[in-house]
Amino acid sequence: MGFHEDTAEILEDGPMARPYLLTGGRVRSDAGELAVEAMVSAAEGAAVPADSELAEIFALCATPNSIAEISAKRAIPIGVARVLVADMWGAGILEILQTTRSDDIAIVRRLLDGIRKR
Amino acid sequence: MASESVNPSPRPVSAKIVVSGGFGVGKTTFVEAVSEIPPLRTEAKMTTAASEFDDNSLVKSKTNTTVAMDFGKITVEEGLVLYVFGTPGQDRFGFMWGDITEGALGALILVDTRRLADCFAAINYFEERNIPFVIGLNQFEGAPLHQESDIREALDLPANIPIVRTDARVEDNATETLIHLLAHILDTLSQQTAVAPPAPPEPPPTPTREAPVISNDLRARAANALAAERSM
Repeated sequence: MGFHEDTAEILEDGPMARPYLLTGGRVRSDAGELAVEAMVSAAEGAAVPADSELAEIFALCATPNSIAEISAKRAIPIGVARVLVADMWGAGILEILQTTRSDDIAIVRRLLDGIRKR
Repeated sequence: MASESVNPSPRPVSAKIVVSGGFGVGKTTFVEAVSEIPPLRTEAKMTTAASEFDDNSLVKSKTNTTVAMDFGKITVEEGLVLYVFGTPGQDRFGFMWGDITEGALGALILVDTRRLADCFAAINYFEERNIPFVIGLNQFEGAPLHQESDIREALDLPANIPIVRTDARVEDNATETLIHLLAHILDTLSQQTAVAPPAPPEPPPTPTREAPVISNDLRARAANALAAERSM
C-alpha cells in the first residue's frame, strides 16, 4: 500500500516495536495523551524528517490533519500514529492545534448554527 | 516545546461527536451520510502500548485482532471541524471506546427497533460518563414502528433524552439527526451552567390549624404510585 520497505517490515513485526525505539521506550510523550481528533500541522520552517514514515506524515500535515486521519491515510494503527506525532511534536516538527473542551457552549453553538445552515 | 510559529490562516479547532449502537445498526452509514469526505477507517491493535505496559504478564495470548473504527469529518465553518466517530460494535473491544469518547461533546445512539437490547451497553456507557446523548431510531424496512413512549419505556430513558427517527442512509435525514444531537448538547450544557433554578413556588400554607404535614415518605409513595399508574 505504498509503504516504504522499512515501515512495512515494522508493521508486520508488530507496530509497537518502532514507537518504543523512537521514543526511547516511552509510551506517552510529554505531549500527554493526544486525542484522536487532535489536529496537527507541520511547523513552519521545520526540516523534512529523514525517516520515510515521518516524512510522509510531515507532508500530510502541510494541511491540518487529525491523529485519526493520519492513522487512516497512512494505514498505521492509531496508537502508532499517536506516538509518532507526539514525538514529532517534541522535536518541533509538528504543531498540535487546539481541541475543544466537551463543555464549550460557544463551540456547540457555532457547530449547531453552522450545520443548520447546510 | 513546539515553536510558536506565526500562522496567518486561522488555526482550526476540532471537536468530536460519537455515533454508537449495536453491531450493524448503521453507524458507518450514518457517518458516511454526514461526512464531507468518504469515511476513513483507522485501526488499533488489541495489544495497545498502554495495556502491554500495564499488564505485568505482558501479552497473555498473542492475537492479531485489530479493531476498526470509521469516522468522518465536517468542516462546519472555516477553522471549525467536527469529527464524527463510530464506536466499534463489539463490546469486547470496549477499550477503544475510551479513546473515542474522551472529550466528545455528545453521542448519537442508533437503535434498531427489532433489536432493542443491542443498544443497552451504549446507553449505560454514556449515562455513566454523563455524556449527553440522543437516541436515533434507524428506520429499517420491515421494522415495526413502535410508539416513542413504548421505546422510551423499554429503554428506561428519562424524559429529557430525545428520541428521533432517522434514516442513516439519507443525508438530509442524518443531518437533521445531527442537529437534534447538537441542540440537546447545548440544552444540557446550558442547564449545567445556569444558576440553579428557583424552587417551584410552594402553595401558600393553608391558614388552618391543622395544616397537613406531608412526610417525605408519603411523597415518595405517592410518586411511586403515580409512576406505576403511568406505566400501566
